[in-house]
Amino acid sequence: MEWLTPLIAVYAAAIVLPLFVLLYFLKLRRREQIISSTLLWKRAVQDLQVNAPFQRIRRNILFFLQLLMFLAMLVAIAQPVLSLIGGPSRRYVILIDRSASMNATDTGTNRLDEAKKEAKTFVESMRDSSFFSVGESGDQAMVIAFDNRPKVMCSFTSNKRQLIAAIDMITATDGRSFLAEAVTVAKAFAQSVTTEANNRSAEEPGKLLLFSDGCIEDIDDIAVGKEELSFYSIGKSGENVAVTAMKARRSYETPEKVEIFATLSNFSKQEISTDVQLSLNGNVQAVKAVRIPPREAADANNKGRAGNVAIDFSLSYGERGVIEVRHLYKDKLATDDASWSVIFPPQKLSVLLVTGGNAILESALRACPIANLKVSNPGEYESAAKALAGAQQAYDVIIIDNYIPQNLGRGRYIIFGRPPGGIDVTAAEELKDQVIIDWRARHPVLNYVNLENLFAAQCIKMNLPRDSEVLAEFNEGAAMAMVRRNASIYLLVPFDILQTNWPFDSGLVLFCYNAVEFLAEEGATGRISELQTGQALIVDGFTPETEAKISGPSLDEKEVKAGSSGSIIFDSVDRVGIYSLNASGQVPRYFAVNLLDNRESDIEAVGEISLSGEVVKAQQGDVRRANFPAWPFLTGIVLCIAILEWLIYNMKVRI
Amino acid sequence: MGKIDKQTSGRRLTELLDANFMARLDSLDILSRKILTGKLHGERRSKRRGQSVEFADHRAYVAGDDLRFVDWNIYGRLEQLFLKLFLEEQDLTVHLVVDTSSSMSFGEPSKEIFIKKLAAALAYVSLVNNNRVNISCFSDGVTGQVSNMRGRNYLAAMAELLLKSEPEGQSNFEKACRQIVTSRIGTGVMVVLSDFLFKEGFDAGLRRLLGGNYDLYVIQALSPEELEPKISGDLKLVDVEDFDTAEITISAALLKFYKRNLSAYCNELKDFCSRRGAAYVLANSSDSVESLVLNYLRRIRLLR
Repeated sequence: MEWLTPLIAVYAAAIVLPLFVLLYFLKLRRREQIISSTLLWKRAVQDLQVNAPFQRIRRNILFFLQLLMFLAMLVAIAQPVLSLIGGPSRRYVILIDRSASMNATDTGTNRLDEAKKEAKTFVESMRDSSFFSVGESGDQAMVIAFDNRPKVMCSFTSNKRQLIAAIDMITATDGRSFLAEAVTVAKAFAQSVTTEANNRSAEEPGKLLLFSDGCIEDIDDIAVGKEELSFYSIGKSGENVAVTAMKARRSYETPEKVEIFATLSNFSKQEISTDVQLSLNGNVQAVKAVRIPPREAADANNKGRAGNVAIDFSLSYGERGVIEVRHLYKDKLATDDASWSVIFPPQKLSVLLVTGGNAILESALRACPIANLKVSNPGEYESAAKALAGAQQAYDVIIIDNYIPQNLGRGRYIIFGRPPGGIDVTAAEELKDQVIIDWRARHPVLNYVNLENLFAAQCIKMNLPRDSEVLAEFNEGAAMAMVRRNASIYLLVPFDILQTNWPFDSGLVLFCYNAVEFLAEEGATGRISELQTGQALIVDGFTPETEAKISGPSLDEKEVKAGSSGSIIFDSVDRVGIYSLNASGQVPRYFAVNLLDNRESDIEAVGEISLSGEVVKAQQGDVRRANFPAWPFLTGIVLCIAILEWLIYNMKVRI
Repeated sequence: MGKIDKQTSGRRLTELLDANFMARLDSLDILSRKILTGKLHGERRSKRRGQSVEFADHRAYVAGDDLRFVDWNIYGRLEQLFLKLFLEEQDLTVHLVVDTSSSMSFGEPSKEIFIKKLAAALAYVSLVNNNRVNISCFSDGVTGQVSNMRGRNYLAAMAELLLKSEPEGQSNFEKACRQIVTSRIGTGVMVVLSDFLFKEGFDAGLRRLLGGNYDLYVIQALSPEELEPKISGDLKLVDVEDFDTAEITISAALLKFYKRNLSAYCNELKDFCSRRGAAYVLANSSDSVESLVLNYLRRIRLLR
């Protein structure tokens, strides 16, 4: 038995009880009534022996009932808690999944609300520090919400109100679930001694409590002992149909024609027929009926692949627009019911190749759909660039081959060989016989490019600034890096392709194509690429300190400012839909943020999760209160006594 | 005792007794359980030997006796002179003692009206039968008295006294009884009309009256509010006479104790009276005076 607010009850008792007893001794303000003689009444009163106060109390059951009622009330004010947990107090880390799949409404409201409810029940059942036993401290907990990134809502505390407020503040996002980082953060917090931890040992491991539906992307990267984590599975039904892939692009042959490809996945166990609707700028353009096969039967190791169906649309549209593909099936998760894409007017790329003579590179570029490819030598380039005096280059992309330019205007560059000065990149030394050890295959520049066999006889080792983006690595240095400086983008490739075996690889052409497309798109005004929820929105090409406003599904005109590099970075695109960026004096730019994640759309509740090979079973049933507050029962007792007293009083005064 | 305006007081008698009731009262007379000594020659046997037709005794003749009362038949047989003694018939004195203290104003209908009507009825019966009537009103001692009324002529005076005596003041029964006994009004039937709720007790006063050799009737009139109280809540009861207070919270238990006390008090008065040869009557002021007089008082043989 513990008391939450014993002092308040003691103070209340000190005031109320003497007053109550005093009231019984005080005389009532009585109504006067004239009668013929008080002779008989006095005798009757004497017979009742009401004049002796202690006899009056001794015989007055109402007094004792009222006293009992007051005592019950005072004990209720002290908030006694019946504790059903034994043992020493513990530390808990409450991990609440707030990713897209937690928006599923199969639990009545949505899974996040259910998870919050269970987490709050757990917090309420934590043991408090006892008032009467000095030195003993109660359970402590911290709250971390996670989707793509973890967010610490509340660090270790035993203050239940604070913990519940922190849980209440968690809002749903349409992001994906990454738990590993959250676990790392939790462990880091658990090892630090907070001010509230008092004499608590920092080595004491905190128990992780995971409130999730089990749709976690990096479940295999988490190294947590089975005993360290309790998994509370949220959710019931797995019925969901999702748009899991979508791409809208203009045809190479006829740029006016827009082709839209989408994949719909069915995560339920029965075949589903539904309509898929295509909208352009909010107007429905086409509706197609589709029949999506059910998911494959699950086996011991596999949940079973979702049933997929591919669908394509095409429309003729030469302007900029927002395309939406939406299925009309009523399922449990609305986040993945639609996918958006932004298309731009057909653009003709203009590329300048500055080279002392590189026929291979030139022919690779000519293989790409570039409307205007100009080849010039360094002398011509320098004179033209000097005349430009740092202004925006006339070309979409400038490729500099094995030459250190003296003047670089604003623009997008692919630089082969030694890096230029003025972009915080220095050449450290020359390296020989380098092979690729890793590359970012998912980066748009390296899309479908296989660098596995790339060998460089000679290359430059670069000292890169911290904010550079390394796309590929040799065994001793970066093989490809992207640097953003002075409102320009530099794709640095620190070797001469003639010193490598790349010319014999089809990957060179793909690289040229991807790089030119990517850089042209990155720099083009009003262009965007589609984002996944949780990714950062980065837009270059602004003059530093430019102010802009971002609007989107979950935010209303948020003000942002371009940094010194001319980039606007916004990292809170956590809901799916169309975001717009309005900078003064410029046309609005649109961004399509999609979920497009099979794992997140597969909302079937899991009964267990596998952490680095260790299977953690979900806790059976809902979280039940282990500590029961006794005050509601005491309040009930007070009510019963009040009724009993009323009955007895009425029986006594009935004439 | 004061002067009586017979014109107005005749009318005022009807305030106490209506004509029908008076007509019925005409046929009644006061009875005395004792043979008492009257003052004047009347219709009642007295202890005194005198002139009447009712033989009482013989006694030996002594010189100087009236020879008309010598029983010559006995002289013929015994040759001794005996006088025949006859019972003298005298009038009956009826004393009505009426409580006019403040407490009598209590009740709905009030006890005052009730006992005044009752006293008027008894006085009426007495007066029309040529009995001698004394009425004494008392609160703190005797506050009004009319003595030696006889015959119908005094009906108005009787009504006048009863009507002008408003209930006021604290009651002092013992003092009133002492004054009545010492006023030398003679023996007779005495009817005491009161609620007998005297703080100092009723026994001292009644003892004085019993010592005066009266044929005593005690009529205790109580209001319905006293017999069956209809009050509730937390009350401060104030005594109408001495403003004494009693703080009570009405409950079923308290009412039970009250009724038990009331009953005990009435029984105590009744026992006191019956042990001393006095008659006791408990009357409810809500009852009709007519039925009490015509039925109950005849049954206990105060009237015939």
